Amino acid sequence: MASLIRSWIPLLILQSFLVAIAFGSKEAEEFSEALLLKPLPDRKVLAHFHFENRAPPSNSHGRHHHLFPKAISQLVQKFRVKEMELSFTQGRWNHEHWGGFDPLSSMNAKPVGVELWAVFDVPQSQVDTSWKNLTHALSGLFCASINFLESSTSYAAPTWGFGTNSDKLRYGSLPREAVCTENLTPWLKLLPCRDKDGISALMNRPSVYRGFYHSQRLHLSTVESGQEGLGSGIVLEQTLTVVLQPETTSVETNMQPSWSLSSLFGRKVVGSCVLAKSSNVYLQLEGRLGHESKNVDTEIEAHKLWKNADFDLSLKPDRVLRESSSLLFIFDIDKSSDSEPFDLGLTWKLPSKWSCQQAPLQATRFLMGSGNERGAIAILLKATESQEKLPGRVVTDGRCTIKANIFQIFPWYVKVYYHTLQIFVDQQQKTDCEVLKKINVSPSTDKVSSGMLEMMLELPCEVKSAAISIEYDKGFLHIDEYPPDANQGFDIPSALISFPSHHASLDFQEELSKSPLLSSFKEKSLVRSYTEVLLVPLTTPDFSMPYNVITITCTIFALYFGSLLNVLRRRIGEEERFLKSQGKKTFGLKQLLSRLTAKIRGRPIEPPSSDSPAAQSSFLSSKLIFKIILVAGAAAAWQYFSTDN
Amino acid sequence: MKIVILVMLLCYSFAFSSGDTTIHTNNWAVLVCTSRFWFNYRHMANTLSLYRTVKRLGIPDERIILMLADDMACNARNEYPAQVFNNENHKLNLYGDNVEVDYRGYEVTVENFLRVLTGRHENAVPRSKRLLSDEGSHILLYMTGHGGDEFLKFQDAEELQSHDLADAVKQMKEKRRFKELMIMVDTCQAATLFNQLQSPGVLAIGSSLKGENSYSHHLDSDVGVSVVDRFTYYTLAFFERLNIYDNASLNSLFRSYDPKLLMSTAYYRTDLYQPHLAEVPVTNFFGSVMETIHTDSVYKAFSSKTSNNKINSEMPVNQLSEHDELQKANIPNDELKTEKQKCPYTQMRVDLHEKLEKFENVDTVVNLGIAVMVFVVMISSSLL
Repeated sequence: MASLIRSWIPLLILQSFLVAIAFGSKEAEEFSEALLLKPLPDRKVLAHFHFENRAPPSNSHGRHHHLFPKAISQLVQKFRVKEMELSFTQGRWNHEHWGGFDPLSSMNAKPVGVELWAVFDVPQSQVDTSWKNLTHALSGLFCASINFLESSTSYAAPTWGFGTNSDKLRYGSLPREAVCTENLTPWLKLLPCRDKDGISALMNRPSVYRGFYHSQRLHLSTVESGQEGLGSGIVLEQTLTVVLQPETTSVETNMQPSWSLSSLFGRKVVGSCVLAKSSNVYLQLEGRLGHESKNVDTEIEAHKLWKNADFDLSLKPDRVLRESSSLLFIFDIDKSSDSEPFDLGLTWKLPSKWSCQQAPLQATRFLMGSGNERGAIAILLKATESQEKLPGRVVTDGRCTIKANIFQIFPWYVKVYYHTLQIFVDQQQKTDCEVLKKINVSPSTDKVSSGMLEMMLELPCEVKSAAISIEYDKGFLHIDEYPPDANQGFDIPSALISFPSHHASLDFQEELSKSPLLSSFKEKSLVRSYTEVLLVPLTTPDFSMPYNVITITCTIFALYFGSLLNVLRRRIGEEERFLKSQGKKTFGLKQLLSRLTAKIRGRPIEPPSSDSPAAQSSFLSSKLIFKIILVAGAAAAWQYFSTDN
Repeated sequence: MKIVILVMLLCYSFAFSSGDTTIHTNNWAVLVCTSRFWFNYRHMANTLSLYRTVKRLGIPDERIILMLADDMACNARNEYPAQVFNNENHKLNLYGDNVEVDYRGYEVTVENFLRVLTGRHENAVPRSKRLLSDEGSHILLYMTGHGGDEFLKFQDAEELQSHDLADAVKQMKEKRRFKELMIMVDTCQAATLFNQLQSPGVLAIGSSLKGENSYSHHLDSDVGVSVVDRFTYYTLAFFERLNIYDNASLNSLFRSYDPKLLMSTAYYRTDLYQPHLAEVPVTNFFGSVMETIHTDSVYKAFSSKTSNNKINSEMPVNQLSEHDELQKANIPNDELKTEKQKCPYTQMRVDLHEKLEKFENVDTVVNLGIAVMVFVVMISSSLL
C-alpha cells in the first residue's frame, strides 16, 4: 500500500502542476483603456489617459504574449525588476488649483524632467549593476538620456523616505531632460493599438505639448503567482496626464470655458481599441453637491444631472456615479464609429466656482544667500486652508500631529553641511528632538556619490508654517565635467514631501471593479508632492581661458624678446651715422657684421659710415668681444652645471 | 614555411575579396546635428530634413542613428510645439509623429560620435544606439554645425578635427564596418574636414571650400530664426523630386549645386572612390534599394555585379526646366533674405591674416627671436 502511494505521489504532483499551468494559462492577458476628463477651477481642463496591461503569471521560459509588450517583459525578466516607475514631465503641477489631496495628483504630479525608480529582485551586490543596465536599456527604448542615471553621482538608494521600504530600491532624476514626441512615440508603441485606434488616437502631438503640464508615466509591478514553476505576472500601467487650456470666445472671465474633445485635441474618438477589454471615458465634476438629490434612480433625475441649468453635456452618459464631493459621468465609447465619432463636449451656462482639496501642507523650496561660494537651501511648508478638515491626524500623547517625510538628493558639487540644519516652526526655531522624529543622512563623496537626506517631521496640527534650512558650499568641477551650457547653472533635483499618515482615495462606491482606473483611485495612495527644481549657479571657468593664456604668454614673450633684442643689437649712434654718410665703404669686420645684419633682417646691405672708422671699429669690437665672452661664459657655465649633474 | 606563405596568400586574397567584391547588403545613415541653442534651429532642421529624406527613400529607423544636440521641437521658445519646419511655408512638419532620436542633448559629444562610428561601446549600450553595419554596408554620414579650417564644433564646447574623422574612418575600414561611405558636411569651410581622409571607398561632399562660409537660406519670421542652410536646402530640392525607384546619379546631384545660389562652392572629394559617379545612383547612399539576384543553387557565392539599370546622369528635361523655374523663383527671395552669418573663426582668421600682411620683415623678427631664444635659454639654464 505504502509503495503504491509512493508511486502515486509524483503523478499527483505532476497532475496538480499541469492543472496549475492550465489554470494559469486560462487567465488571459488583459488590456483596458480609459480617459478621465476634469475641468479645473482655473479654467483649464485636465485629461488623464490611463492604459493598463496585465500579463498573468506564466512559465517564465518561452513566454509568449498576445497583448503585453514584449520589450517590457524582456526588461523585467532580464533585469529582475520587481517594481519600476518612469516618468517624463514638463511643466509644474499647480497644487493650489489642480488639487493636492486626490489620487490623481499624488500619483501623477511628477518632478520636471525624467524620474526613474526601480526595485530589483536580485542579491544586494548586483543591484547597482542591474540599475546601470536598466538605465541603458530604457534610454534606448524611450529615446532619452536616461543612461546619465547610471553614474553613482546621480542616483541614490532611499531607505524609508521615499515611501517604498526596500533596500533594493534605486532612485534617480534628471531635471534637465527634454520631453518631446520622440519619448511619447515609443511609449505609445507599447500599447496594442498604438495611437491608431481607441482613446490613444486622441494624442495629437502639438496639442499634447502645447499644454501647461504633461506627464507621461510608466509604472510596472510584478505579481508573484505563489506557485512554483510559474513566473510572475506583470502589471503595466501607462498614464499620460495633460493640462490644457480650452480656447474660449467668451469675454466673461468668471465663466468657465466650454470645450469638447475635438476642440481640445483636434481629433475625435472613432471607436474603441478592439483589443481592449474596457474602454471608457470619464468626466469628473468636482464641487457639485447639495443641490442634487442623492437618488439618481429615475430617468428624469439622471437627465437632470447632465443637462441642467449649470451645464450641458453633449452626450448622454451611460452611468453616473457620485462620491462625497464629485460627480462622475461614465461613457462607453464602443458605440462610436466612423459615421458617429465620439466627441464629448461640456458647455457651461452659468459661472461656476469650486476649489480642489489640498494637501495638509504646501511645500515650496528656494535658495538663500548670494555669491558663488556658499548658500543655503530652504524648504517652506505652509498650512493650507483644507488642513483642518482632513483626516489623517495622529494623536500621540495628547498632542495632535501631522507627519511629513522629506526626501532630498544633493549632487556632490552642492556640499551640504548637515550640522547647519535648522527647523523653524511658526517662525520659532525648534531643537531637533522636538519636531524631528527620524533622520537619515548619507553624505556625498566628491565625484563618487551624491548626498541624500531623509527626514521625518512631526509637526503640531495647528502649525501655520514650518521651514527647514541647510547651508552648503559650492564645489568646483573639473573643466571636462562642465556641460556645454554651464553658464545656465546646475539643477538640484526636486525634493519629495510625503505625508505618511495621509492617504488619498476616491471611492465611487462601485462594486464592479472592472475599471482599472477607478480601482486605482480606490486604492489608498500616499499623499505626496514634489517641490520645484532649484537652479544653482556655480563658478564656471572662462572656457576660452587656455586660448587667452596662450595669447597673453606669447605677447609677453614677444615683448620681452623684442626689447632684449633692441638693447643687445641696436646702435642708435651708428644708425645716425649710417644715414649721414651713405655710399662710403668700409672694410673688415664691420662690413661682415653689416652683411650679417642685412642677411638676418632681409634688407639690402646698407653702406656703413666711414666717420672715424678706427674709433668706431674699436668700440664695436670691444662690445663684440664682451658679447662673445658673455656667450662663452654662459656656455661654459652651462657645460659645467650639466656635467656636474 | 610553405604553409605560412599559403596562409598569408589566403588571408590576402580574402582581405582583397572582402574589400572590393563584397556585395552591397544594407544601408545605414548617421545624421548629426552638433549645435546647441535656439539660434541654431536651422542645423536641427537640416538634420531632420535629411532624416526625413532617407526614411522616405527606404532606410528604416533602426538603421538610422540620429544625433540632435538640443531639443528644438519642444523648446519653450518654439511657437509650434512638437513641430520643426525647414521652410517658412510650414507645409511640412519634419518632426512628425514617428521620430526616433538616438542621441540627444548632452549625449552628442565627440566621444560618442567616434564611438558610434568605430563601434566601441560599453556593453550596456542598447542596439538602437549602435551602428551595426558590416562589410557590405553603404553608410551616409551627414554632419552639420559650426566649423572652420579642419574642425567641426560640437555644442560650442568641443571640436572634431579632420584627423579624428580620418582616423575613425580608417578604423572603420579596418574593422570592415562599411563598403562605401559617403560623408556630407554642411558647415563653413567644410572641404577642409576631408583633407586627412585616406581610406578607400570614401566619398565626401562639403558645402564650401576653404575660406568660404556656408550661409543660411532664409529666415522664418514666425519661428524667429533661420530655418535651413543653403546647401541642405538645395540638396533637398534635388531629393524632393525623387522617389525610391528613380535612378538619378550622384553626378546629377553634384551638378545640381549652383555656386551662385549656394553662395559657396560645393566640394567633392572623389579620389578615394572607385566607381564612376555617373553610374552610381543616389539611392546607393540616401536610400535603401536592394538588388535581388537569382541564383540557381541555394548557397552560391555572391559576386559583385554591375547594375544593369540605366543610370540617369542627366536629369530629365522637364525636371531640368522645373529646376530652373525653382531657381528663378528663388533668386529674388535669396537676395532679400540672405542672412550674412559669417563664421566667427573665419572672420578672425581673415583679420589676423590681414594684419600679418601689413607687418613687414616678418622673417627678420622670427630669425632674431629664435636666435635670442637660444641664447636666453642657455643663460637661464646656466643660472638654474
